[in-house]
Amino acid sequence: MLTLRDIRKRFGATTAVDGLSLEVRSGEVFGLLGPNGAGKSTTIAITTGLLAPDSGSVDILGLGSPADPRVRMHLGLAPQEITLYGELTARENLMFFARLYGIASPRARVDELLAQVELDTRANDRVAAFSGGMKRRLNLAAAIVHDPRLVLLDEPTAGVDPQSRNRILELVRTLADAGKTIVYTTHYMEEAAKICDRVGIVDHGRMLDIGTVSELVARHGGQSAVTVTRGEVDERVLTRDPVAEIAHQFAAGGVTGVRVERPDLETVFLALTGRSLRE
Amino acid sequence: MRAVLALAQKDLRLLFRDKGDVFFTFVFPMLLAVFFGFVFGASGGASKIDLALVVESDSKIAAGMAADLAADASFEVKRFDTRDAAIDAVRAGKSTAAVILPSTMQDGVEGLFGGGGIPIDAVVDPARRAEAGLIQGKLNELAFRQFPKLFADTAQMKRMLARARKSFAQSSDLTPMQKLEAGALFSAVESFSTSMGAKKDDAKDGATKPDTAAAAPTDSDRNSWSPIAVHIAELPPRAGQPRSSWDVTFPQGFVWGLAGCVVAFASSVVSERTRGTLARLRLAPITGMQLMAGKGLACFAAALLVEALLVGLAVVGFHSSIAQPAMLVVACAASAFAFSGLAMLLAGLCRTEAEAHGAGRGAILILALVGGGSIPLFFMPPLLRTLSFGSPFRWVVAAVEGPFWRDTPLADQVTPLVVLVAIGLFGFIVGIRGIGRPFGR
Repeated sequence: MLTLRDIRKRFGATTAVDGLSLEVRSGEVFGLLGPNGAGKSTTIAITTGLLAPDSGSVDILGLGSPADPRVRMHLGLAPQEITLYGELTARENLMFFARLYGIASPRARVDELLAQVELDTRANDRVAAFSGGMKRRLNLAAAIVHDPRLVLLDEPTAGVDPQSRNRILELVRTLADAGKTIVYTTHYMEEAAKICDRVGIVDHGRMLDIGTVSELVARHGGQSAVTVTRGEVDERVLTRDPVAEIAHQFAAGGVTGVRVERPDLETVFLALTGRSLRE
Repeated sequence: MRAVLALAQKDLRLLFRDKGDVFFTFVFPMLLAVFFGFVFGASGGASKIDLALVVESDSKIAAGMAADLAADASFEVKRFDTRDAAIDAVRAGKSTAAVILPSTMQDGVEGLFGGGGIPIDAVVDPARRAEAGLIQGKLNELAFRQFPKLFADTAQMKRMLARARKSFAQSSDLTPMQKLEAGALFSAVESFSTSMGAKKDDAKDGATKPDTAAAAPTDSDRNSWSPIAVHIAELPPRAGQPRSSWDVTFPQGFVWGLAGCVVAFASSVVSERTRGTLARLRLAPITGMQLMAGKGLACFAAALLVEALLVGLAVVGFHSSIAQPAMLVVACAASAFAFSGLAMLLAGLCRTEAEAHGAGRGAILILALVGGGSIPLFFMPPLLRTLSFGSPFRWVVAAVEGPFWRDTPLADQVTPLVVLVAIGLFGFIVGIRGIGRPFGR
């Protein structure tokens, strides 16, 4: 569906993408995770053809490079920034993009999308007057106005309220259920764990690992911590099999409480990318 | 084409949503054209009407009228020796109208009762049509003021009545009875005139002046009897000269309208880049050429619109008449193309909106001033006039003035048109490279 092979991209002395390879399967939601400056947005830009790689190749749907307008027809991008015209209304924005893509019945498609992102009652209001969450929802609607097969969402929930985030995640799930392939970048680990079928963790322009959340946790999450309380005393035990450990502790007797801390995607992320701050 | 039209429609919609851009693109050029038109064009709102007066007749009525015109508070009268000199003063915008008191005035006086009327000629600047009515009314009034003097002149009156008697006697339309009655009337008038002459002689010692106000005709008088024949003609246009100051200032308005378009659309392209919408546009299944064609088409349409508004205002509001309408359309299209290209060039050179609005507007302003945007090229000193060849605006003025009022031969209009098209092509090519060739590798 989407194949990146040994992509490299430098900006002056900075290496943004360093031999990154990736294969996204048809119909999956693929999470691309990484700290700031890891190369996620550059990878997205190269995937869409907005940036040309210094080397390596991009293949979309087996049709070839996104340099070809016929290939780009199957791509939808919701960039990290709100890329809408604030002086136009929500409807005018979507109508413009629909016409740009040559949608046969643009008005019907726009009405359908406005209802999907719950902006139908604000369709004729200027986007400049919208809240951050409303703009994010419309930004996503503009990305899928032409019903693309591959949708790239670059941090689509950044800075939005919980209601809008929930609506966006529902919409992503709906798109996935409709058979769309989705590449999703985010900083929110719980979001990625919730909606992504597979996750790739990127840092310093390299793909560190790819897998399902449970596979990554198993590979990089380390041991679970079981804290056993006996009266006033807590005992913390690290184990790869917390169920067996708890059974063992209860067999020993005197247990008044048990708490289990399992590794999650955030643990994996920190284990792979380190704990140092990124600018 | 569908995508190009969608892009153009969107950009025009954005233009019209921005009040500042609308003002500087459409309203400001018209205000400037009108303002400079008033500045360069004679009185405009002045309180007195400038008249160029020629007295060809040595009659008493001509002398009286000349004196009354000079004394009238509505006019600033300047005497000229010949009809041509007076008309030239109107053509040059120094006078609003030329008034000629012709040599046939005396004949008109003597034939007053036999038909015809006393002739007065006037030639007005077509751009000052509004004042023509006032001039006509004033000339009638002042001519009527001369009548008490005419009727009090017994010798003059006798000559007038003799000619009228002769005219009536020779008429085949009148019955013998009507001729008899007219003869009786003329005898009574002659008797009245003689007694008026006697009274005038008596009054000389008493310093009684004729009541000119009372002598002024009423509307009913004018309706039943029209002894004054004021012929007002509009100044015939002379090829190669502006008919009015508006002919000069409206092509200058083009400069400011196109400057507004360039800055508005260059800023719009830069805005697309800074707010990220350019990335979304480049992702759409359109080529870089289509993208720039859409932007250019919007700028071209806006430029044509402002040019049409300026021409419309000049023709309807200020009575400019276009010497070569078809060529003006061509010149407008070439200008709009050139400045659409310049908008793309500026968009390619400027990286931020601040650059487009600040440096871009500044550069355009200087080019517009050098190119004849505020001071007409023919008023400029030689050095500036030479420098103006480097300004694209100079070529707009040259291209537009030709068909607007200069009536330039077709061969001479080719150069500015070719230069404008070349500017447009250069702007598009360099601008597209500057903006960043989409998907180029």
